[in-house]
Amino acid sequence: MNLSRRSARPVLSTHNVHEVGIMESALALVARHAAGHGDRRVSRVVLRIGALAGVEIESLCFAFGVVSRGTVAEGADFEIEEVPVAVYCHGCHLEFAVETGGFIFTCPNCGDLCGEIRRGRELELSRIEMT
Amino acid sequence: MCLECGCNHPVPFGVKVLSVIAPGLLKPRVPDGPHTIEVHASLLAQNDDAAARNRARFASHGMLALNLLSSPGAGKTTLLSRTVDVFGHEQRCAVLVGDLETDNDARRIHRPHLPVVQITTGTACHLDAEMIARGLDTLSLDGVRVMFIENVGNLVCPAAFDLGETKRVVLLSATEGEDKPLKYPPIFKSADLVLLTKIDVADALGFDIATAVENIRRIAPQAELIQLSARSGEGMDEWHDFLRHHLPV
Repeated sequence: MNLSRRSARPVLSTHNVHEVGIMESALALVARHAAGHGDRRVSRVVLRIGALAGVEIESLCFAFGVVSRGTVAEGADFEIEEVPVAVYCHGCHLEFAVETGGFIFTCPNCGDLCGEIRRGRELELSRIEMT
Repeated sequence: MCLECGCNHPVPFGVKVLSVIAPGLLKPRVPDGPHTIEVHASLLAQNDDAAARNRARFASHGMLALNLLSSPGAGKTTLLSRTVDVFGHEQRCAVLVGDLETDNDARRIHRPHLPVVQITTGTACHLDAEMIARGLDTLSLDGVRVMFIENVGNLVCPAAFDLGETKRVVLLSATEGEDKPLKYPPIFKSADLVLLTKIDVADALGFDIATAVENIRRIAPQAELIQLSARSGEGMDEWHDFLRHHLPV
């Protein structure tokens, strides 16, 4: 975990603007699903975010607090399921998971560098819970 | 007793009648109690749909579309200016250029033979597929074989946004650190081609080309790599060959 993820108050930068846009998409989806269920209060929102999705988790949490105000998801628990990277080695026909902390992907079998990313770019609304 | 929730609120006469003649109308529309909805929908679905439409549009025109990404100041605009001056006379090109503000880049790239549109994004840190669609609407696409899309200078956010491009080109300049690919892996991992630019000034700046190449290879083994200088012309032939090679037949 790096320092920026640990910081308690993320700085509002263009980076945060990106996460705010992502969160607006997520909450629009939440609102659409809640409307189909009688606009009940949403108690939990769960996103699936890949390690290579290019979004900062801390900034997303910050964006959820801001963007959810006045929506059906205001005050809901916000949870992120992080999706680890999975890479494919063409030489060995082997798919392998990558431990967090590095972005140089070498096949554990042959040691070659691998560029085909099978998982880890996810940016999804996984599920919502309602009371 | 109330029909909705079982409280002791008196029931109006009309509702009593309805409960006899059409009880289904008064049933609660949603189940009671906690409820989980499995959604599993991409947050970028709207963008991805627009990108698919752009991709089909590029294909229908027989066009190669390139999305150029880099930090601000890595040399995207200079590269495009020089490219359209030479390659642009061989194949008809067009340019969509994105910035938060000003049309300076569109004016720099503008040539009599070249359709150019500036997209100003305001506060948005990246181009998205719908901006590209609107930009395409304003361009004359007749005979255009290569569409260059110069993205907003940013090594983070544009990585997630498919614009419908045929190939994604990421630039790293000799005025940046050799370790940029290690610091910003997602965007380099999404590249089809990495251009190492401004190599004419690498020595003067103490930029170690071999280290930069090694870092690009380790982070982006899937990508082709070309070293060039738009100013000196070194490596530009190889870049033009890349364009020719990927032109749709």
